[in-house]
Order: sequence, then structure tokens, then C-alpha cells
Amino acid sequence: MLEIKNLHVAVDGKEILKGLTLSIGAGEVHAIMGPNGSGKSTLSYTLAGRAGYDITDGSILYKGEDLAAMPPEERAAKGVFLAMQYPVEIPGVTTMTFLKTALNSQRRARGQSDLDAVGVLKLVRAKAKALNVSEEMLKRALNVGFSGGEKKRLETLQMALFEPSLAILDETDSGLDIDALRLVAEGVNALRDPARAMLVITHYQRLLDYIVPDRIHVLAKGRIVAEGGKELALELEAKGYEHIVGQAA
Amino acid sequence: MTALSAIALSEDRRARAAALVQDRGLPHRRIEEWKYSDLRAVLGEAGLSAVVAQYLIRNLPHGMDVWDLSRPDAPAWVTDNFARETGNTMNAASLAVADAGIALRVPAGMAIDDPLKLDFTGAGHVRALLVVEAGASLNLVEGVVAADFRNVGFEIALGEGARLEHVRICPALDGAVLVEEAAVRIAAGATYRGHFTGFGARLSRMELEIALEGTGAQAHLSGVALLDGRHSDITTHVSHLVGDTHSSQLFKHVAAGKGRAVYQGKVTVAKGANGADSSQTAKALLLGDAAEADLKPELEIFADDVKCAHGAAVGDLDAESLFYLRARGIPEAQARRMLLQAFLEDAVAEVGHAESREMARTELLAALEKVA
Repeated sequence: MLEIKNLHVAVDGKEILKGLTLSIGAGEVHAIMGPNGSGKSTLSYTLAGRAGYDITDGSILYKGEDLAAMPPEERAAKGVFLAMQYPVEIPGVTTMTFLKTALNSQRRARGQSDLDAVGVLKLVRAKAKALNVSEEMLKRALNVGFSGGEKKRLETLQMALFEPSLAILDETDSGLDIDALRLVAEGVNALRDPARAMLVITHYQRLLDYIVPDRIHVLAKGRIVAEGGKELALELEAKGYEHIVGQAA
Repeated sequence: MTALSAIALSEDRRARAAALVQDRGLPHRRIEEWKYSDLRAVLGEAGLSAVVAQYLIRNLPHGMDVWDLSRPDAPAWVTDNFARETGNTMNAASLAVADAGIALRVPAGMAIDDPLKLDFTGAGHVRALLVVEAGASLNLVEGVVAADFRNVGFEIALGEGARLEHVRICPALDGAVLVEEAAVRIAAGATYRGHFTGFGARLSRMELEIALEGTGAQAHLSGVALLDGRHSDITTHVSHLVGDTHSSQLFKHVAAGKGRAVYQGKVTVAKGANGADSSQTAKALLLGDAAEADLKPELEIFADDVKCAHGAAVGDLDAESLFYLRARGIPEAQARRMLLQAFLEDAVAEVGHAESREMARTELLAALEKVA
């Protein structure tokens, strides 16, 4: 599904990712753990195609295609979804209008016909309930005045709605209390699918209690320094990053 | 400057207006209030002599009174409210030379749902007077038709407890030079809502001179300028003459290409007008290096106990918002349009009259297709 080879990424001329290699197959859930400043968010933004993240070397293949050559909207239409750490607030655009526009944009790019307002509403309602996203939230301006939990629930709702092939979750646990975390994790787990790959990016082991990964990669100073099964998270929790980062350095 | 069939005005009053114009000449950029809208440069002296501008009433609601200002022996509701003294040069110019003009009245206590639709057409100077008497209410939809040069002198008087919503939508008029001054007097307990959406002209200047004359009087001004090239100037002066008066202003501008958006807003709170409450917001987004916005909110306070807030900001589209929308599959051009529309929306939402609001929104969406 996703093949990252020797990826080097610079932001404002400063190299952040320094030769990252990673491979995720369909149906797999991988986690990337790492301390602050290790390049976790740079990786997620690079995968989603944010401007200003310059690939200076290496490659990203998604379903065999060069992901780096595509604008963000094309990546989305082809099934790449980034659940953001800090979803932006956009006053003046209602959440429902946004969902409809995004969904139909993706459909159009795939050669499918638009869904009408009723069709979108039905689809959204069917998915919103499990994530405790209320009708009232859908009427409000996108993310405006939403609590941290509401924002993350809406990100998860979008993931359920767009049904991506590759879902990247950037610090989905940040700002969530334990109940909100459980709710979001359940939503994510419900989307586990043999055809879908997931990349869970997190600083803390806590999230991985709820979204149990097949494989864990430890990112430090712009490259993967350790890999292992789910038990690696427990080791990191017990001994801290310094232990492993120090070993690899 | 001899008009063939000038509007009915005492020789005295006309002479005073003519003298003011003679003395000052056409406004130009070295006059502070005209710094961003150099009328003399685009017009030369020629502008003041053309006299054939007209009005066109496209819809006259039942119950309103109409008076042609060129007729002699005007009734009291006209003479009491028409040709008030003003220091405004262009207002004086239209008084001095206009040969057409219309006066309209909603009699006391009459609430009119059907909108009054009034257009100004042709080149030259024209006068209009609208009186909404005590307890009456009206929706006015003002239309703007292209002209090389037109100067509209509009006087509006609201009696006690009266209500007027005034919506003016000005299409993109590349070659036009349009100047209008609306002088609005608002009595106790009366409310004026004015909304001005414009797509710019070679030079477009809408001036609002608002006088809150009685306790509880309110003025709510809003507007949008969407300029793909062209010029738009909204200049307001709101005077809180007595206490417990309320005013708000919300103007949003988007300038692309060589578009130039101007907002000059002055709020004056007179001595003793305690309890006056005013807010003033003007924001502009610039798309491209050649676009320009000049936002100048100003406060002049002579009273002690007032609540006045003002703010202005010029910026670009938010890169993070744009990325968020694109990362969800929305193509860049469409995402930009969504953000622009969202930026303008709160000013559009100020329009109370549903039909006018939808019209403004539709025109904005069509124009956004071209800008983004």
C-alpha cells in the first residue's frame, strides 16, 4: 500500500526527515512513536502534501504511484486521509456543507456522480451516531467552538465517511480525556479492514492500548531507529525514549 | 452651469450650493477624505456640467407618496426634509445642477412589505429624497446602472420609531465613475440598516453621512466589495448626536488583480451623548501583489461614558485552512472560493430582507467564480 524509501524532507531549508524507510501493507496498522521534534508531524504533512515540505531525496509510492507528484486533493480522492492533530476552524462554512463538498469532490475526481443533499445527510447520519456527533454540531461552522474531543470525533467521522485506503492519524490522542479517547479509538477500530492500511502517529503509548498496532516504528532525529511488535510500546513506556534513541545513536 | 429644467429650489439655496462647488472644485487626492479616490484625476472638470442623470422607480409599493422634485410648490414633507445644508462638495454639486429628482414618502404608521425598487441611471447629477415617517417601515432596494459619470445626492429621513432597510448592489462597471452620498437622519427609536455590495467601477464612491438624532436611534451598516480589478470606496461618518444611540459597521473586502478597496469610517460621539454604543469592523483580503486595500477606521469622542470598538485587518487567505480543505479532496480553486465566501458571509448575513440577501449572495458567488 505505502512504500517510503530513504525519505529526506526539508522545511524552510532545514532537513527534518533524514532517510526514513517504511512499508505498510493492506490491512495492516502501524504505529510511529517518537519524542517531540523527531519528525512525526513532518511525515504526516509530507504524506498529505502540505506546501513547504520539500522532498529532497527518496520516494513515496502509494499503490505503486508516486504520491509526491500529486496535489493534496488528488491524494485525498485516491484514498489518502490525514486525521489532523489540530483540525482548523473555518468560520462561515458549516460542517455539513464542508462534508458534502469534500465527499462530492472526491467522488467527482473518481468519476462518480454527486450525491444530493439528502443522500449525503443519510450517509453522514448513519456514521455520526456511533461517534456521538450531533445534528447540532453538523450545523455549526466547521470546528468553530468545538471542544478537543468534538474536533477529533469529527476527524474520525470524516475518515468513516471518506473510507480511505490509507489513513494517517496524527496525534489523535492529544487533548483527549480517557472517555473521548476510547470513543475515538472505537471509531478507528471499526474501520480496520483487510483493504485498508493505517498509520498511527503518537507520542504516548496510551493510544496504542486502544488501537493495537501490528507493528511499531520508533522515529528519532528524522529516521526510524527501532522497530518491533506491539510490545515495543510497553518497553518505551517503561524505559523512555532515551533508552532506545540512545542505543541507536 | 445653467440647467434647463432644474429641480425646484430657492435661488438662494442653489446659489449657496453652486458657490461651495465653485470654491472647492472637484475633490482630488490632496483632500484627505478623497485621498484614495481621486475624482479630479479620472474626470477632469467635465463631470460637473453633465445634467441628464435620471431615476427609475421599478417597483412602487402601494401606499407610498411620490413627488417629482422638478415641480414647483412642493408639499411640506418635501420642503421640510429636502436640501438640508451640507458641507459636502458633491452633495452641493448635485443640488446646484441636477435637473431630475424624486421624493418618496411612507406615511406615518404604514408598514410596507413590498420593496421599493429605485434605480439611478444616465450620466450627470440626480437628487432623491426618501421620508419614512414615524412608526412606518420600508425595504429599499437601490439599483445602479452604468454611466460614464453619475453623482447621486440622496437624503433619507426616518421619523420616530421608523424602520428602513436600504440595500444597494452595484455590479462591476469597468468604465463608470460613480459617486453617491446618502445623508441619513434617524429620529428617536428609529432604525436604519444599510447594506452595500459592490463589484467596483473605474471609480466608485459610496458615502454615508449618518446622524443619530434621537434617543434609541440605531444605524447598522454593512457591505462587501469584491474587486477583480476596479475601485470601490465606502466612506462613512456616523454621528451619535445624543446618548443611548447605537451603531454598528461590518465591511468585508476582497481585492484581486489591480483591485483597490477603500474603507474610511469615522464615528463621532458628541458631547453629552453618554451611553452611545458603536462598533466598527473592516477587513480585507488581498489576492496578489497588485491589489490594494486602504482601511481607515476613526473615532472622535467628546462624551465620557461610551462604548466604542473598532478594528481593521488586511491579510491573505489562510494557508492552513486552504490545506485542510484540499487534504479533504476539495480542488484548490474551489477551496479558495469556499474560504472567500466564508470570509464575506457575515457581512452578507447582515441583510435582513431575504430576497435582497439571496440576490447579493448569488452575485457574489458568480463573481467569486472569476476571482478565485
